[in-house]
Amino acid sequence: MNPLLEQFLSETRESLQGISEKLLQLESEPESADLMTELFRYVHTLKGNSGLFDFPELTRVLHAGEDLMDAVREGRLPYSLQMADLLLDAMDFVGMLCAEVDKNGSYGACYADDSLRLADVLRKLIGVTDATKAPAAPAARQALSQGKPILALPLAGIPEQVRMRAYRGACGGAPLHFLSYRPAQDCFFQGDDPFFQARQTPGILWGGIAAQKPWPKLAELDAYSAVLDYQLLCEAPLQELQEYYRYVAEQLEITAVSPRSLIMPQGDPNGGPVYEDFVRDGLLLLAAGDLPGLLRAARSMLELSNPELWLASALRWLVLVLELEPDDATALGAILHSLLSLSAPDWQSLKDASPEPSGVTSGAGLESGAPGKKAQFSPEVRGVVAAIIAAQREILSLPVADAWHCGRLRAAAASLQGCLLAGASAGALPGLLEALDAALAGLTAAPLLSWLAESPLNAAGAPLPATELVEHVEHPPAQQPPARDAAASVVAQPAPAEGEAKFGRRAEDAFAAAKSIKVDQVKIDRLMNLIGEMIVAKNALPYLAGRAESVFGVRELSREIKAQYAVINRIAEEMQDSIMQVRMMPVSFVFQRFPRLVRDTSNKLGKEVNLVLEGEDTEADKNIIESLGDPLMHIVRNSLDHGIEAPQVRSAAGKPAAGTLTIRASQESDRVFIEIRDDGKGIDPEVVKRKAYEKGVIDEEQLERITDQEAQNLVFAAGFSTAETVSDLSGRGVGMDVVRTAIERVNGTLHLESTKGKGTCIRISLPLSMAVTNVMIVESQGQLFGVPMDAVVETVRVPRSAIKTIKRSMATVLRGRIVPLKSLNTLLGLADPQKANAEDELAVLVVSVGDESVGILVDDFHETVEIILKPMAGVLSGLAAYSGSALLGDGSVLMVLNMKEVV
Amino acid sequence: MAIDYQKNRVVFSEVAGAEEAEGLLEWLSKHPKGKIDLKECSHLHPANLQVLMAVGCAAYVAPGDAGLAAWVATALRPRP
Repeated sequence: MNPLLEQFLSETRESLQGISEKLLQLESEPESADLMTELFRYVHTLKGNSGLFDFPELTRVLHAGEDLMDAVREGRLPYSLQMADLLLDAMDFVGMLCAEVDKNGSYGACYADDSLRLADVLRKLIGVTDATKAPAAPAARQALSQGKPILALPLAGIPEQVRMRAYRGACGGAPLHFLSYRPAQDCFFQGDDPFFQARQTPGILWGGIAAQKPWPKLAELDAYSAVLDYQLLCEAPLQELQEYYRYVAEQLEITAVSPRSLIMPQGDPNGGPVYEDFVRDGLLLLAAGDLPGLLRAARSMLELSNPELWLASALRWLVLVLELEPDDATALGAILHSLLSLSAPDWQSLKDASPEPSGVTSGAGLESGAPGKKAQFSPEVRGVVAAIIAAQREILSLPVADAWHCGRLRAAAASLQGCLLAGASAGALPGLLEALDAALAGLTAAPLLSWLAESPLNAAGAPLPATELVEHVEHPPAQQPPARDAAASVVAQPAPAEGEAKFGRRAEDAFAAAKSIKVDQVKIDRLMNLIGEMIVAKNALPYLAGRAESVFGVRELSREIKAQYAVINRIAEEMQDSIMQVRMMPVSFVFQRFPRLVRDTSNKLGKEVNLVLEGEDTEADKNIIESLGDPLMHIVRNSLDHGIEAPQVRSAAGKPAAGTLTIRASQESDRVFIEIRDDGKGIDPEVVKRKAYEKGVIDEEQLERITDQEAQNLVFAAGFSTAETVSDLSGRGVGMDVVRTAIERVNGTLHLESTKGKGTCIRISLPLSMAVTNVMIVESQGQLFGVPMDAVVETVRVPRSAIKTIKRSMATVLRGRIVPLKSLNTLLGLADPQKANAEDELAVLVVSVGDESVGILVDDFHETVEIILKPMAGVLSGLAAYSGSALLGDGSVLMVLNMKEVV
Repeated sequence: MAIDYQKNRVVFSEVAGAEEAEGLLEWLSKHPKGKIDLKECSHLHPANLQVLMAVGCAAYVAPGDAGLAAWVATALRPRP
């Protein structure tokens, strides 16, 4: 997830929190304009932010909320409890989407409908006062939701071949949808191309364009006001279409199309042979179930007909239906009948028609307009119920067989009763029982049959396809006008009441949202100390293993302890690593103050400086970062004051008038590098040498010997300043000394490079973290000492004969280089000479001090260990020779040498 | 130029963008009987299309692009 999105999510969470707080406060003081303004600001910000991302659903709801809030703020609308409820709902929805984004990086397209509905409801509240602002489409949607009948789809405009192809596809299970897309009038100004969008619709079979209203005179035509409607027939799942049109969901109407409604013969209605005989034969063949015969007959009839004729078109459909859905006797019968009437089969009224000749409409309902409430079933259940009822009717019509007639009646009545209960029409039960009683008394099925003819089950049980030619996407069936309408809805979205409940629940159980927590640093330090102790304790295990073997002689146990140690070691290391991560901070924490500092300082000095910051997201331990603050400040000031010249001087030297100061941070393995580079006048070694001599920092002898590089590094010496006068910026001669000390305190190193006239570059190298130090343990006069691994160059054993004595100091030659040798015992003031091993070789630990290598003679080398270095405290803090102490695994204290001081 | 205005004929090629609509409207106002050639057109912005529709251009050379041709056919139907 990109950082911007992450930030958006965390801000959104806070804003949502703020919004609900404000809303709740508003409940107690609904008149407060301040609260309202604040609320508006929250929503406004949120909406603006959401626009940065690809979340149209989110933006839509927020936008509607913003508009509503704006209306309230300006006093156009009174604040109401209902409004608060709606807003809370909308915010829950936003929260839910954000949670989803947080989890999966985005959210599914399935929220488009919820989003539309919420936005609609919010806008409805603004209502009359703001009717002009609301786009036309939502109004249309609202009309739909109020249950007004939908006009028949303009399917007739689609060419027959396309409809046939769609029918074929639909019979193969492809979802068919009719889209009606009316882009916003000003969409051209937003760079939209709705035509292109429509052309790229997934699964498009057919598309048509129509003007929304009659064209005005050419002179009055505004070419840039979008007035076209787009209609499409698509063979794609609803979800895919919604996803594709998610940005303009409110401008779109998607309607599911049932394949039957595509059967619409077209053509010249005149002439042709007489079809009556064919229809009669056809119906007979159909009744007899001789479909191949019917197909043959239809084909030969088709050959005789002029393809332009309406009748030929109907025959083509008949053939197609015969091929694809030979079981659909109703449709076949209807087409045959339409051949007689020369009018398209009226699929809508098919169900209402009086019973067709037997067999043809076997399953079709005999709806006789039964009064009272109709039983309600979901679409899939309805089919099953229809089958059950048809079976009961059949059973009841069977000839009377005395022996089991009563049982048969009871069984049928029980089945019907079950259907009634399942359809929530328990009110009709007494009628059924009465009919059953009458039937039992008379031993005839007639009362039950007549009850069935008038019962609510009759309507509900009617087969589906005939009733629902066109299924509209808007509403759940439960809210539908009676199924006789051409259009009935598919379950595409829950009823509003359900939706609200859903968001509400989400808001309640979405507690674990916050991803970051603020922790007191003391707690983290404590964690740090604990893991330090843990590492020390862990280091005790190898000792234990050693003891198990050497003292108690149990090798097996020793091995097991070592294995266990490996496991604990891994966990401890990972743990330590994660704690380190917690303490990591980006260097931008220190960098962020520089732009201001550079601006102010350069203004004061009358210099022009461009500050370039690079690698601000480089991370290091908090302590390291904090210790960087002051040194960097000094270095930057120095660069501004001494490094970068005044604009005239620069121009004269052929440099751009504005100097450039670059601060760059980077990370290499376990060290952080900070580079401060300016393109100023650089450091003149001659001047530095002379100054240093004048100030007594170096003596005459050094003055002769010192290299330019060394001379430049003199600026770090205590008490050194090249500035003639002490200004409020620099010149006191403490600056760079402080820098060096501060850097070295955190185990950092400092390197200065400068070319006269070109500029200066100071490189600071810092450890990523200072918590754990790797040290090598050496032995001298029976004592153990630690030497930081950073300083160790190599360990060698040198024969005593190879050690030469020059004047009074020892030296040896290692790979052609002379390495001065010093005895650790001598350095530490211990009396004993260094011990040699059996081959009379001395152990030499080569360490680097500053830029030089020095060999330290010790008695023996031991392993390297990770330790938590504790600085010397109290009276011991005066002992410069040691950088600190650490606890070893066996409980003993290890003194860690500070090689710079010792040598 | 995606639209080439000839003497009494306007030829579209490739994609005609929204910015063309103004000029097209102007030209068609002056040449109400002008011929429209969409043969080489692969897409035209609806702003252009609605200008063509408003002018009532029923006679035109259909686009070579079959998909576009089907769309345009529904839009530029001869007026009853």
